[in-house]
Amino acid sequence: MTITPIIGLEVHVELKTKSKMFCGCDASHFHVEPNTHTCPVCLGLPGALPVPNQVACEWCIKLGLALGCTINQDSFFERKNYFYPDLAKGYQITQLQKPFAVNGKLDVDGRLIRINRVHLEEDTGKSQHVGGETLLDFNRSGVPLVEIVSEPDLSSPEEAKKFLIKIQQIVRYLDISDADIEKGSMRCEPTVNLKIDNVFTPLVEIKNVASLTGVLNAIQFEIDRQTKQFQEDGITKATGEKTTRGWDADKSVTFLQREKEGSADYRYFPEPDIPPIVFTKDQIEAIRATIPELPNAKIVKYKALSLSDYDANLLAENLAFSAIFEKILGGSTNPDFAKFITNLLIGPLKTIEITIDKINPLYFQNLFDKKSDLSSSVIKQLILESYQTGTDPLVLAQKQNLFQVSDTGALQDLAKKVLAANPQAVADYKKNPQSIGFLIGQLMKASGGSANPQVVREILEKLLK
Amino acid sequence: MLLDKSILELAAGLRQDEFTSVDLVNECYDNIAKYNDKINAFITILPRETAIKHAQSVKLTSPLSGLPFVIKDCFNTSGITTTAASHVLKNYIAPYDATVYKKLLTAGAILIGKMNMDAWGHGGSSENTDFGPVKNPWDTTRVAGGSSGGPAAAISARMAVFAIGEDTGGSIRNPAAWCNITGLKVTYGRVSRYGSIAYASSFDTVGPMAKTAQDCAIVLETIAGVDPYDATSSPISVPSYSTLLNKKVSDLTIGIPDEFFQAGLDPEVKTAVLKVAEDLKNAGAKIKNLSMPLFDYGLAIYYLIGPSETSSNLARYDGIRYGQGREFFTDETTRRILIGTYALSAGYYDAYYKKAQQVRTLFIEEYKKALTKCSVLLQPITPTQPPKIGELMSDPLQNFLADIYTTSQNPIGVPSLAFPCGFTKTGLPIGAQLVGPMFSEDLLLNIGYQYQQLTDNHLKSPLSKGDLEGLKPKL
Repeated sequence: MTITPIIGLEVHVELKTKSKMFCGCDASHFHVEPNTHTCPVCLGLPGALPVPNQVACEWCIKLGLALGCTINQDSFFERKNYFYPDLAKGYQITQLQKPFAVNGKLDVDGRLIRINRVHLEEDTGKSQHVGGETLLDFNRSGVPLVEIVSEPDLSSPEEAKKFLIKIQQIVRYLDISDADIEKGSMRCEPTVNLKIDNVFTPLVEIKNVASLTGVLNAIQFEIDRQTKQFQEDGITKATGEKTTRGWDADKSVTFLQREKEGSADYRYFPEPDIPPIVFTKDQIEAIRATIPELPNAKIVKYKALSLSDYDANLLAENLAFSAIFEKILGGSTNPDFAKFITNLLIGPLKTIEITIDKINPLYFQNLFDKKSDLSSSVIKQLILESYQTGTDPLVLAQKQNLFQVSDTGALQDLAKKVLAANPQAVADYKKNPQSIGFLIGQLMKASGGSANPQVVREILEKLLK
Repeated sequence: MLLDKSILELAAGLRQDEFTSVDLVNECYDNIAKYNDKINAFITILPRETAIKHAQSVKLTSPLSGLPFVIKDCFNTSGITTTAASHVLKNYIAPYDATVYKKLLTAGAILIGKMNMDAWGHGGSSENTDFGPVKNPWDTTRVAGGSSGGPAAAISARMAVFAIGEDTGGSIRNPAAWCNITGLKVTYGRVSRYGSIAYASSFDTVGPMAKTAQDCAIVLETIAGVDPYDATSSPISVPSYSTLLNKKVSDLTIGIPDEFFQAGLDPEVKTAVLKVAEDLKNAGAKIKNLSMPLFDYGLAIYYLIGPSETSSNLARYDGIRYGQGREFFTDETTRRILIGTYALSAGYYDAYYKKAQQVRTLFIEEYKKALTKCSVLLQPITPTQPPKIGELMSDPLQNFLADIYTTSQNPIGVPSLAFPCGFTKTGLPIGAQLVGPMFSEDLLLNIGYQYQQLTDNHLKSPLSKGDLEGLKPKL
């Protein structure tokens, strides 16, 4: 029995525009007092009318372009009609027939995952169930939401997770959303079924997945569950119905929410309150021009500098970080320099908050040029100090006499003398390496206190091997 | 009676201290006190003291300053109940103002009441209301027309200087015709819909209702224009309509589409409407008979798209937020919601909603073509004289057919001016409509004004005994 998972993702990303999708209300809603960011429009009051947010439309197109989509120059909104208490108007304004962007693709570790569409819609309000009552908060109602729908091209939970991370990175590169899954500004609904030999199991859409791990686990759970289910009942996609299952993160199980999903009828029709949205070719090109170099392109570029796959991915993880790397790198194509910077960025500089403005590429270059005169631990120490004080690391090294200690020839001679003079300490070290402190102290003393203790330790350790 | 005067006369009188805004307000309230019980035009009458206070403090900054007006009860007015004539919104007080209302307040006009109508605009007789039917001031056993029946009856019975109505498929024009007043269905997008409770969003238009074309022109100048709160409002600049009324009609061609004058049209109505052509011809206009073969499809387009949109627009009244649930919808409203839901459903969408939109596109072309052959089209408004109360309600299909001439323009978007053109032998008013190209309100009002210089039908009121031989006010 050959089992191939077939996974498609529907990803919702909340745009971080100042105002909502169809009104002027403040779009922020996380930890905001309920129903304070509302108006007649997002409350769906009688007579209120939606006016589309131009920036949100442009950002949706921007994301579409970043995902290699074709942009529909003539687009329009539609109404999706359904009843739910937190849906103020009884319909959601969304896009169906003519989304802003269609037919894209995203490279996930060398596999091209097709993007069906990228469209713009409005978020709903929130229902809070408190003590047997349901309270409604409309702060989120009308917040712009972009929906990215992949084709079912993903074939493992890990790949789905990677896809999601890629989307998250791109969205953050474009600076159009926080894409924070935990805060709900990025949401994901996987649809999963299996190809077992030559038949397909019924489609299952998974809801309420609220973390990256959740995506991974929920999909894996569904794969296992569907395998077992199929072995028990043999129901296929052709004989069964699409169902919706919820993800229970506490119990790590999916549970049945709705059956016969295929028969839902949302009675879509073009939104008569909003005229069709037209973008000219020039406008689209102007939007394209605002897109920065994207993570995948950066990874290719970094790997060309002989950086490892791991390093390249890490550097490209976010735009600010890669920008720092590139600022320091300047025009250099020296793989050693690239590796040198990378080690500092993902090493000591990762432990503190750094901003690009405070980075002086020259200091890195200087340090790189003198790296043979400095121990690696000294280099790490110097770059941190240099960043924090804004001083050339070589000046710092000079001041602290750290170069001197890298005169390892002289130190080495001294060390040999110290070892010869302290046979008991050497014997102690062989039993307990922790006792090296005494020998370090002796050598420091012998050097007149100006040696770098780290270098001293290294030399001693080498000689004691 | 002050309320027989035109807006310009009233504005001048106020400025020359011939009378005050308070006098005007009092005259309105006196007429309301005398006649409203008989015609039931109001849903909410604002307290007289409130209106008087408003009148005392008003500054004369525009021609509408100090003039009492009424507004159909589909417009949101903060602090005052807005019901759309449905018990679903029985106690609903909106927290915001409709743009049209805001503009009129800014102009210094004085709101005195919110008017009865067919609930949600669903109807052509103002009987589909939870507040009792509006009765025709010319014969209180008959309907006033609808859905803006309350505003029309109130203007006719001199209870206000002007009114704001809403026209989705004849809702301004039909009651204007049956109550002997002038009403303008504007080009879609000419006046902001913000704050007007939606019936069918792509057909809904907000327009003036008054005694004359000149009055309508003055009100339109105030309420028209682009609104940042209505994405469908047009950025096309607003002409000063009232200064464009004096052009002679001699270089115009009045088109008469045959299909609008066929079987089913009451002979008395037909004669009166065609008399308009004759009058305009005598004033120098050319007359051109033409054909609009797609006319028959107008009603079908309207009754597929209108209910489709309304089924969605009314979804929000789900009983959660407005106090009263869906069980308070009338049969007529339920019928329209069901038709619309059906037309939009999977499997039927292509055959009904989509097909209707395709035919709508053809229909738009048909109107364009017709309007290249003439300056404006002359059409009847209603196929019949005002029916007896209850007649239309007992026959839903007949009720739909009553809209046959006025549902033809809203899917197109073109403007149409409704105005009095005569009376039946029994003394009931008859109206005609002139339909022009998109944004030709200036032309329509110009022709309407010129016509009203030649005729006096529009000056007759059900209150002025003896004005018309044989007509007795039945109040």
